[in-house]
Amino acid sequence: MTTLFYLLGYLAVAAFVVLSCIKISGYLQASPLHVRWELYPVPHEGKKAAYGGSFMENTEWWKQGRHVEHLCDILGIFKEVLLLEATFKHNNKLWFRTYPFHFGMYMLMGGTIILTITVLCGMLGASEIWTGMNMGGVVAFIHNVINAIVMIGAFGILGGGIALICRRRSDQGLKNYTTAEHYLNIGVFVLFAFFTLVAWAVNPDYAVLAGTFIHNLLTGNFEAIESVSFVISMLCGFFVLLWIPLSNMQHLLFKYFMYHDIRWGDTPTAQSPKNQAIIPELLKKQVTWAAPHIAGDGTPKSWLDIATSKSTTQK
Amino acid sequence: MNKNVKITDVSTVEGQLISIEAEDLPPQRLDLEFMPWKPITEEQKKSVAYILDEVSVLNIPVPQNKEEEEELVNKFLSGMRKLFTTENNFTCLPMLETSMDNCVQCNSCSSACHLYEMSGEHEMYRPNYRSEIFRRIYKQYVKKEPFAKWRYGDMGLNWKTVARLGELSYRCNLCRRCAQTCPIGVDNGLIAREIRKIFSQEMGIAPKELHEKGTVLQDMVGSSTGMTEQVVKDNVEFIDEDYSEITGVEIHTPFDVQGADILLIHNAGEVIAWPENIAAFSLIFQEAGLSWTLSSKCAGYDGVNYGVFYDDAQLARIALLHMQAAKELGVKKIVIGECGHAHKAMTVIADRVIPYELQVPRESCYVTLRDIVMSGRLKLDPSRNNFPVTLHDPCNIVRLMGIVQPQREILHKIAPQFREMPCHGVDNYCCGGGSGFAIMSRNNIEEWRGNISGRKKMWQIGEAFKECLGPETKKYICAPCSNCKGQIREMLAHSNLYEKNSFAYGGLVELIVNCMENVNPGYIKWGEEE
Repeated sequence: MTTLFYLLGYLAVAAFVVLSCIKISGYLQASPLHVRWELYPVPHEGKKAAYGGSFMENTEWWKQGRHVEHLCDILGIFKEVLLLEATFKHNNKLWFRTYPFHFGMYMLMGGTIILTITVLCGMLGASEIWTGMNMGGVVAFIHNVINAIVMIGAFGILGGGIALICRRRSDQGLKNYTTAEHYLNIGVFVLFAFFTLVAWAVNPDYAVLAGTFIHNLLTGNFEAIESVSFVISMLCGFFVLLWIPLSNMQHLLFKYFMYHDIRWGDTPTAQSPKNQAIIPELLKKQVTWAAPHIAGDGTPKSWLDIATSKSTTQK
Repeated sequence: MNKNVKITDVSTVEGQLISIEAEDLPPQRLDLEFMPWKPITEEQKKSVAYILDEVSVLNIPVPQNKEEEEELVNKFLSGMRKLFTTENNFTCLPMLETSMDNCVQCNSCSSACHLYEMSGEHEMYRPNYRSEIFRRIYKQYVKKEPFAKWRYGDMGLNWKTVARLGELSYRCNLCRRCAQTCPIGVDNGLIAREIRKIFSQEMGIAPKELHEKGTVLQDMVGSSTGMTEQVVKDNVEFIDEDYSEITGVEIHTPFDVQGADILLIHNAGEVIAWPENIAAFSLIFQEAGLSWTLSSKCAGYDGVNYGVFYDDAQLARIALLHMQAAKELGVKKIVIGECGHAHKAMTVIADRVIPYELQVPRESCYVTLRDIVMSGRLKLDPSRNNFPVTLHDPCNIVRLMGIVQPQREILHKIAPQFREMPCHGVDNYCCGGGSGFAIMSRNNIEEWRGNISGRKKMWQIGEAFKECLGPETKKYICAPCSNCKGQIREMLAHSNLYEKNSFAYGGLVELIVNCMENVNPGYIKWGEEE
């Protein structure tokens, strides 16, 4: 059983990575170049972003060099991801429930990263660090931080998750759009957080427990984990990891593209030799739309054929 | 009212699904009169699918037997499959797929939608209502995902579902205010347009105002107004004569000047409905000493492109005609007149549809006008505009193109009593005529615009002028977009708001000409002066 537990851990991580790559690759292949579909304000407009302005406010903008404030884009997406700014502005009641939930996740994700780095450092230099046997100074501090992060994060997920479920049950508007999967998605997180809290409470040092598990995963040492609550929380975590790319929780991966590539994707063709080269290739694609004004006669046509023909000649 | 309509009701309920009455609508500062729905006769109900509400935009014929019902469903599914292929939909597939897969149904979009709010928060008008129906059909019948019914919710698919979904795609102004508020980036406006594409591009079903009398007419004759080359030249010549007399300045609108710097493309509807706009542009460009011309080539004199509302093929055809007209004249740039969707179609959407070699740079008239006004080339007397003025932001130019300040710079210079509406700039609301509705008035569409889609704009106008409402003070609603003007005109006329509140509406150029020192005073007319 112990081996199976560790194998499930590897499987969850591998599935997350592979499925995420497949999903992102699918997005990138859906279209080499979609139409511009920007929505203002666009942060990389710099000062203009304050009121939602764009380069198209400038006289003969195509004669000016393209200036993109990448830092503003990065700050914009960080603000949105870390503070859930749009939800705060436009769905305030939900924000007070979903923010603790997301904040809790960020805490646990951050804690996992810190702990993994600590374990890796230990493996590379001080082999006893991860076991907690030689705790003192920096390591003790890190472990204390991890323990605090886990407690706050798990409380956030637990409280926020329960509040989200209650809201979906009580708000008729939300209830109409809520399916079994919504409850599953939030419910698994709630379970994960609950057993994490139990493990945190009943074990003397959660950071050591989690650090040992990460070390065992990294080294292939399938040592039994004594804490049942920790094992259950990890099993929930494995499922979440596998499930994220397969459910609407994939917005974790796609928010970047939906903001940077779509909502803020305003690169004009005049200033993109790459896009200039792609457009003629796209117009060669064969179209099968069956309406009379397109390809209703069954003759193969490209987008170029259609654009250069008259509407009523397509019978 | 059947306010608690469920998503699945579209496939199960017989007859008309919902009805919205006067008492359902939120109160307004302005005295807006409810427009009673015209009764639908039994004869109409037998032939046209009036099964969503009192309105029929698509005129979908009621299937007369099982075979016809199945045919409608199968055609829809066939179109839906094509919509999710790169070949048939490279233009929008990434946006569509991400909107399909990432929505968490948080309903943040609802409060952003003027239709939801102004329908009395009717469930059917949640931006996500139609999206969710479409999403469930996609997951269950096209993608055929395992456990789709359990995961996403069941959705019966029959002719009623298809007909209602088609109509639902036309209960949206495509203003994309909802998309702006989505924390994830899901775009319900895009989904509405994609559904419209299936109906037009696969099933051959589109509103006749947008298709037969819109893009097809424009493609064949040159303009959706039906004006041919000769007619438009004659009409503009008449406008020049009339407005030379009115303004006291000799106006000459040039046509087909080879090698001019600027090709100005108006919405041709202005020539017929608002000649003062055409004259004002000609006067300003002439007095500013610009090198400019109009075109009489096919579509070169009509900037509209209704394809942007419903059909990618028609969009590409019209956009190409616009570029060809400009290329033939050898102009340095196209300046787009006061028409919102023409701005977006020609500048933003066509940008990745028309090969770059065939493109001519496009600039908004707001920018060109800003440069003229701020350069001092015109002698202006702002005291002639000393009346309250507010500005409507056309969604296509402001939220979807980020052109926000140029028009405001002009107004701050020439209108001493300019004031913003609440929720202005990129946070604006649609006029209510967006996505083609401004040119539709049959089958209770006009009533729908008056009762639901146009009410939020009237709220904004009422708030902007709240301290000077009533007939005593003349007020000007600056709406620099042809379709928006059409919508506002009808809203004001129906409730007699011209008289009750001394409103006048018009574009930006009329306001500029109104304060030009060398022009006879009184270019803008209020009700009794017209």
